[in-house]
Amino acid sequence: MTKFCLEIDSVDKAFPGVKALNKASFKLKKGSIHALLGENGAGKSTLIKIITGIHKQDGGKLLIDNVEKTLNTPNDATRFGISVVHQERNLIRRFSVGENLMLNNLPRTTLGLVDYQEIALQSKKWLEIMDLDIDPSTIVSELTVAKMQLCEIAKALSLRSQILLLDEPTSSLSPQESDNLFLLLKKIVRDEGVSIVFVSHKLEEVFNICDEVTVLRDGKNACTSESIKNLDRKKLVKLMIGRDEQIVKSKRKTDGTDKTILELKNVNTDLGHKNISFELKKAEIIGLYGLVGAGRTELAKCLIGLEKINSGEVIISGTAITIDSPRSALEKYKIGYISEDRKKEGLILIHNVIDNASITVWSQIKKILGFVTNDMISSRVNPYIEQLEVKTPSIYQLISNLSGGNQQKVSVAKWLAAGTDILIIDEPTVGIDIKTKAYLHKLIIELAEGGTSIILISSDMPEMISLADRILVMKDFKLNGIVKNDHKYDTVSANIMEYIHD
Amino acid sequence: MKITQSSLLKKDWFGLLIVVLLSGTFIAMLKPAFLSAFNLYVLMVSVSYMLIIALSQMIIIAIGQMNLSVGAIGGLVAISFSGVMEVYQISVPVAICIGLVIGTVCGFLNGYITVKSGISAFIITLATLYIFKGINLGITEAEPFYEIPETVKNFGNAKIGTSPIPYLIIIPVIITFLMWVFMNRTETGRHMLAYGNSVQSAELIGISSSKVVVTAHVISGFLAAIAGMLVVCRLQLGTPNIGDSWLLPSFAAPVIGGAILAGGKVDVIATALGVLIVAIISQALVIFKIDPFFVQIFLGVMILLAVFVNRYREYKQESSKKIFNND
Repeated sequence: MTKFCLEIDSVDKAFPGVKALNKASFKLKKGSIHALLGENGAGKSTLIKIITGIHKQDGGKLLIDNVEKTLNTPNDATRFGISVVHQERNLIRRFSVGENLMLNNLPRTTLGLVDYQEIALQSKKWLEIMDLDIDPSTIVSELTVAKMQLCEIAKALSLRSQILLLDEPTSSLSPQESDNLFLLLKKIVRDEGVSIVFVSHKLEEVFNICDEVTVLRDGKNACTSESIKNLDRKKLVKLMIGRDEQIVKSKRKTDGTDKTILELKNVNTDLGHKNISFELKKAEIIGLYGLVGAGRTELAKCLIGLEKINSGEVIISGTAITIDSPRSALEKYKIGYISEDRKKEGLILIHNVIDNASITVWSQIKKILGFVTNDMISSRVNPYIEQLEVKTPSIYQLISNLSGGNQQKVSVAKWLAAGTDILIIDEPTVGIDIKTKAYLHKLIIELAEGGTSIILISSDMPEMISLADRILVMKDFKLNGIVKNDHKYDTVSANIMEYIHD
Repeated sequence: MKITQSSLLKKDWFGLLIVVLLSGTFIAMLKPAFLSAFNLYVLMVSVSYMLIIALSQMIIIAIGQMNLSVGAIGGLVAISFSGVMEVYQISVPVAICIGLVIGTVCGFLNGYITVKSGISAFIITLATLYIFKGINLGITEAEPFYEIPETVKNFGNAKIGTSPIPYLIIIPVIITFLMWVFMNRTETGRHMLAYGNSVQSAELIGISSSKVVVTAHVISGFLAAIAGMLVVCRLQLGTPNIGDSWLLPSFAAPVIGGAILAGGKVDVIATALGVLIVAIISQALVIFKIDPFFVQIFLGVMILLAVFVNRYREYKQESSKKIFNND
């Protein structure tokens, strides 16, 4: 009989408005590397949070070494031998490597004081397992990202963890560093008997090191603990994206003859974008698709002047321009940006609806002494709030009391009121229920029909295919290719995937 | 082994030590009276209780919080300490114990309410500042206690033998040493710093937030109590306004010593040198007969300088790291 060290059996988890997991299952064989795959929003992170005790499942079972367990806190997970190596590093940066490894069980001298020699001695052992030739007294912040990651794995091993969860471990590593990591992972699976759950977007990595694969799609299993031998790249991609979703068809036709309103020529940015070139026509919706970390939001931030463009040209209506601040982006060039992070960047949560919606127009409507009255604001903003059907008891309701969908509508109203020509919309429907999502989709199409040019950033493939006229695929801060969207899901999604996994 | 210049230069306290030595030498060359026995005595007396006040704030900075009630705790303990001796003729050792218990309880309340409410310590200690101060004024009706036992007064005035070293500085020096051991060599101290660095990471490895926060506030209250009683020894009376002027200096020394208010980075030796630098500057201005109001300006400039120097060093480290990574 095969031994499973971790079994997830029909786990459900719902958040308000979203069913994140619907009878998700997988079995982790002892001493194996198991890939957990799925598109953004498929439920991977929720599942990981359940395995690590951050969330509690609504239904279903979690078995460790064939015994059912309940995990209430991250501490419980650690006690049962489960460790996560997060994308964000969880080391204490100002402490030494050795101290970080031993921190929750610091060795002490007979006087009860922390024994740094013993720390160095004990931590050395775990560092050697990870082939890390560093002095345990080195301060963590002096290490490279790759070494920090290896230290984190060493730390997990030092906690005697038998199950390691690696969440996109290679996202900030170079190819050589990744290869090195994989060799070490294979080694610790072989020598230390640990089992690994491996989350990655990079399929080549999955084929390189994983034994089995579980794919999640819309919170359900698209495949469960399937041996990698039975799969190939094409099958895997199909499992990840092949869902039945109604594509909203836009009646709008763009024949490509409209005038170009924004053009980028060989743009290089401070953040590392290389040679980005594209055109945006009047009343066109172009989509920026890519994986998390492809540099899409970052590109938007460069366009609105939050980050610096180093070389290349940005041309608006025929003139090359420099955008130095979001203020000039809005006031001079009429470019608005609806942030993906509604709560942090998009809205001021402790202000009411009208203040949030009108914030972009204050400078346009203020009178001689700079005063803005409530009447002036509401006459300017109310039409948009009504047009978008923001559901709020009054325009003086605090934004934080509205639902996510309505908050998003206020975000949109804010930019409509400002009369933008170009609107960059970043992940408009993340965490929003299906009904409001459909409404927002309709709204985006209407905006475009009204003459606004839209750059849509989304990781939601069906959303992208239903809305965009052309889809620009980004990877590693480069533009990998442009897909003409004929709204036929199968062919377009396959084309996009080609560019992402090339 | 490479215990080289560069590893010394990395220490927060090393630069400050050089500042202390240079400024001391410079002032002494211009005004030899700076090194007179009397002057050194005055310097050490002012360093003595400021050292404890600074450490009382430093331990809260270590966990990324602030304690605005340091002075209010010190003041409440000062009048309780002198009050029980005057009104109830309680012996000195018992009075000291009462003072320590009051300080510890005040600190515990700060920590406990902060943990339980989840509200920032800044606001909680702002509230307790008024409460402690109010109790103080309620008890004293703004009148000082004058009847301080001779032993206490003597302790506040005496010097060790014929040296200029005041008795008052003995306890602060011992406490500074113990605090160094605590922050650098005990598990609780290390966990506090880890918590200050990153609450999330600390919790993930099973460090208990409530334990860390409450312990830090208890120690802070305990130290504020000692400082309050030392000031009573020094002033020879227990006035209700003891502690009123502690708040800003309590932040100044740790910050000059390179502490980061976000937490996770404090240095006991550097904080002590920060106290010394502030004292030397104040003293020098007196010796050069500069208007005492200027002391504040100098202090302000000093803090700015310290912050700029730290920023610059971090920037240097970052850039040297980048070069290192590239090859």
